Amino acid sequence: MSIWEYLQIPVFQRAFLAAVVAGGTVSLLGVVIVMLNLTTIRFALMHMALLGGAVGLALGSTPLAGATAAIVLGSLLLGPFSERLRLDTGIIGAFFMTGSIALAFVLFYKAGVPALDVFGLFTGSILSLNQSDLWAVIGLGGVILLSYMCLFREIQLVFYDPEQAEWLGVPARRIKNGLLFLAGLSIGVAMKVVGALLIDALILIPAMTAMRLSRGLLQILLLSSLLGVATAAGGLLISMLLDMPTGATITLVGVGFLGLSMLFRR
Amino acid sequence: MVIQMDRNLEALSLSGVGAGYGKERVLSSLSLSVKKGECLAILGENGAGKTTLFRAILYLLPDIAGTIRVLGRTVKTPEDGAWVRSQVGYVPQSQGKGKLPISVFDAVMLGRWGKSFAYLRRPTARDRELTEAMLDVVGLQDLRFRDCRSLSGGQIQRVNIARALVREPLILLLDEPTTYLDAASRDVLTQLIDQVRKKWSLTILMISHDGEYARQLADRVVHLRRGRIEEGLEAVS
Repeated sequence: MSIWEYLQIPVFQRAFLAAVVAGGTVSLLGVVIVMLNLTTIRFALMHMALLGGAVGLALGSTPLAGATAAIVLGSLLLGPFSERLRLDTGIIGAFFMTGSIALAFVLFYKAGVPALDVFGLFTGSILSLNQSDLWAVIGLGGVILLSYMCLFREIQLVFYDPEQAEWLGVPARRIKNGLLFLAGLSIGVAMKVVGALLIDALILIPAMTAMRLSRGLLQILLLSSLLGVATAAGGLLISMLLDMPTGATITLVGVGFLGLSMLFRR
Repeated sequence: MVIQMDRNLEALSLSGVGAGYGKERVLSSLSLSVKKGECLAILGENGAGKTTLFRAILYLLPDIAGTIRVLGRTVKTPEDGAWVRSQVGYVPQSQGKGKLPISVFDAVMLGRWGKSFAYLRRPTARDRELTEAMLDVVGLQDLRFRDCRSLSGGQIQRVNIARALVREPLILLLDEPTTYLDAASRDVLTQLIDQVRKKWSLTILMISHDGEYARQLADRVVHLRRGRIEEGLEAVS
């Protein structure tokens, strides 16, 4: 089958559209994860998703619903929590990460939740998206774009020098927590699109590549978005052509771009 | 609101000011007054409350006791705080080597935030003109497209000063301006501060732990100890 024949099929159309939208927008939050040192937090959120998945199953719902709820809750709580206790986000991340994985295992045992069903969360696929998933991806993408459009200078200030931002009167804390929340939602979307183990391919790697090649925030954002689309849509098409697993192919394309960027030194 | 400025008017006065973080009180019954055009250095050990004092003046602390007047206006509400911040340029104690790539020009122009651009309002031609002018003043015109991360400590401090000046402030707050500088850059900085002070008759408040440098630059030096000002110990002509 050629690519054009594939793209006649609704499932592939939906997947392709989701790849373009998610790749172009979710990747814009990679720079947030790097700038605000959220690398540990994103791990914590993934582990909380696992706990959420277990709770979801125990309550008779689906693992994904539970996982999404946990991520939303986690990303809303982690920022303010770390400020209240004056702990850095790394420690808070580690606390939640270890704690939630332990709780999840207790739940597996006590509630008789089949662990394998929950671990299924780690292998999402863009081909399994339904129409409402696609709307969720488009909605989130819109919110991300709008946030950057309305708050570009404020976000630039928060990344460049949070102390300056605060004294100039920029609501730095609220912006940080808002971005963390969006990053959490994006992790949820990425789990569905590429699976939890490969979320970095969609969120972090395009931004890391862009940051190696850019001279300013605007360039980082434009390049992240382009690379995100190229990674997600390109990976999807290649996986169809060569009959390879989509999540892994998307990831390989992203890693390939990062590798290429390493050949250029600014 | 129009504030009538008189040559002898106090630029800044604090009386009985107490402030801190949560239950921890860092400043207690602190009183201080600075005349317009004066350069005052505040000396103190680490933890004496120097930075907290600046944060109180800028209305960046949750509960502040006592009275703070800036340029004749009593600072009581968040609106007053925003007004103060629009009149004050703040030069932080920072090496400025963040992770974000940003050009010298952009880093300076961001100082105009809240003054003319914010949120959906984009920077204007005047913001760019002022930025160019301040880059000239601090001698960074040639480096305007350079990434801030590749600058030396002295150059970063000049970016910080340009970013404070681009707000067209009446008062300049300097937080340990010489911390990361070698002797040569310190001299350049002293000249620069002297020059801009005369040019715009700025009132300057500088906190430092470097007594020698403070005496060199300031008209008056006071000490901050245990959250209070001890004045009159060292008057510099």
